[in-house]
Amino acid sequence: MDYTKQIQEIAANLFAEGKIDVFVGYRTTGWDNNQVPVLIADPADVPKLVFNDKSVFNLVNYLKREHTRNKRVGIVVKGCDSRSLNLLLTESQVKREKLYVVGICCEGVTDEEGNKMQNCTECIVPNAVVSDVLLGTPTGSETVTGSYRLNSDVEVLHQKPLAERAAWFNEVFEGCIRCNACRHSCPLCYCEKCCIDQETATLYHGANTPSSAFHALMTWSMHLAGRCVDCRNCEKACPSHLPLHLLHKQNEAVIYENFQEHLAGVIEGDRGAFYKYSLKDPDDFIM
Amino acid sequence: MSFSTFVTDKAGLQQFYASIVEKHETYAPVEKFGNFDFVRVTSLSECDPASPIERTRSIKPLFFPRSAKIMKYVATSAGTEVSETDEDPYAGMRVILGAKHCDARGLQVLDKVYNWDYIDTDYQKRRRNTVIVSARCDKAAAHCFCTSLDYNVENLDAMDVLVVNGPDGKIYLKARTEKGENLLKSDVARHATSVADEASAPALKQQYEAFASSFRLKMNYTEVNGKLSNIFDSPEFEKVSDHCVGCNTCAFVCPTCHCFKISDEKLKDTGVRYKSYDSCNNGYFTLMAGGHNPRPAKYRRWRQRALHKFVYYKERFGDNLCVGCGKCTVACPVNISIFEVANQVASTAM
Repeated sequence: MDYTKQIQEIAANLFAEGKIDVFVGYRTTGWDNNQVPVLIADPADVPKLVFNDKSVFNLVNYLKREHTRNKRVGIVVKGCDSRSLNLLLTESQVKREKLYVVGICCEGVTDEEGNKMQNCTECIVPNAVVSDVLLGTPTGSETVTGSYRLNSDVEVLHQKPLAERAAWFNEVFEGCIRCNACRHSCPLCYCEKCCIDQETATLYHGANTPSSAFHALMTWSMHLAGRCVDCRNCEKACPSHLPLHLLHKQNEAVIYENFQEHLAGVIEGDRGAFYKYSLKDPDDFIM
Repeated sequence: MSFSTFVTDKAGLQQFYASIVEKHETYAPVEKFGNFDFVRVTSLSECDPASPIERTRSIKPLFFPRSAKIMKYVATSAGTEVSETDEDPYAGMRVILGAKHCDARGLQVLDKVYNWDYIDTDYQKRRRNTVIVSARCDKAAAHCFCTSLDYNVENLDAMDVLVVNGPDGKIYLKARTEKGENLLKSDVARHATSVADEASAPALKQQYEAFASSFRLKMNYTEVNGKLSNIFDSPEFEKVSDHCVGCNTCAFVCPTCHCFKISDEKLKDTGVRYKSYDSCNNGYFTLMAGGHNPRPAKYRRWRQRALHKFVYYKERFGDNLCVGCGKCTVACPVNISIFEVANQVASTAM
């Protein structure tokens, strides 16, 4: 999977035609084979762009207001990234006409050691669901709606007794240093002031204690219930290497069992459980 | 005052470490989720004093905790009663094993700010009561650049006991302070033999030269520092920071960042006040009560970070605030390198 040439060509044309102000893509770090995001505003920098199985970061994160406010943006999206883009479109966070989307039919990305990422091995939406141009040959099933599947490691977690599961999650919370890298790397956390950071109305105090980490991470994962697209930006960003995806996957399992028919972000305009109220919603788990 | 040097072998070093763990309150790198953090250990097998530098957290939290209780209060009809918190968990006598040179240097730099203006007595007490055993690295990691900065890594005196893996397979233990001398005398004598400074010097020098030649990153510090002093309005700051996601990770893992915020954990009329890490990359950093934000844009916050590290602190206290450990680059979600930022911005100076 290497679309470096095509992406450079597309970006150069977009700049030449005056269609975009900034192109969001990947470049190599300059010290190893890994890649980091790059925001290109000068057409002369287009040759820096690359794309291959090391293009891991979900670039939709840069469509948040603080990064590309009022700009026309060209962006590269893989399958999971495109689902988060779809959600931002549905939630009125970005305007489609301001975007030029280079969709990728993704064959999976690899971690620093060169192994395929775990979410990629179980991916069911490899092809970009939003795009102006689609690179690669679509693979996998054509209709991906409704095909929710429990993640293998969540299954392992589910088999543990409740007390053991709680103890395991507590260990995760203890490793948190409250740096908020997970939240800032999440493409779907776009609030300009997060409720967790409110310092006047102290819903959450800012101290770094296991209890505050529990509050912050749980609140965050609840806001992503039924929205998380499993891109793993949070987990890759975490300086403590906490297995954060399990929090989201745990919620997701409940959401799909009870409220939601489709995978988050696969259908344009589909508002997930977080935004939808229905009289048919089961409430048997509340009492 | 001159301090003694001992020579031993690998087994002797392990015995020295084991006897420290047995006799003293010891903190050492323990692995969790792939990272090594300094925590209290009760046996040498739990920890790895030779943990790899790129995966080891700094020792700063043992002196300036991620969150520390600073007071308790109770509001009554007669007024508010303020009291001291419970005893400081880090105030006792303790030994740190496996600290890296850059971490030890970080504390030396931090001492200046903690000895200036407001004297932080908790920090002073923790510093006084801690003996730091630090082994010199044998090889630089990808983002290390300590030898390029304004301090002498070879003759660093920021630790109490220096450990060097000699090229001859021997291990040299050198006391750097009186605390270190006492620790060596009481714990090492059985496992090592005393050696004169002149006799150990060539081995130490040879090891340092091999280490110093393993660096990927090198820069001319005086030049970079000079150029950055004069570049506040550079548009380059926007370019180097445009892909920063705006989290606090770099500051939280940094061995020298020392900004903090105050927050209360309240329950009805009682509360505990905490002092916790803050970061200049945080969008609300130094946000004022009236709503004024002195650094509303991301590049301005990055400029503050880079210049505080490489210019302001040097001007005020005489030391560079960045110690070149590379922890921020490793931890950063998008791997922004402070080395690259400083050099790239400096390279555009007139």
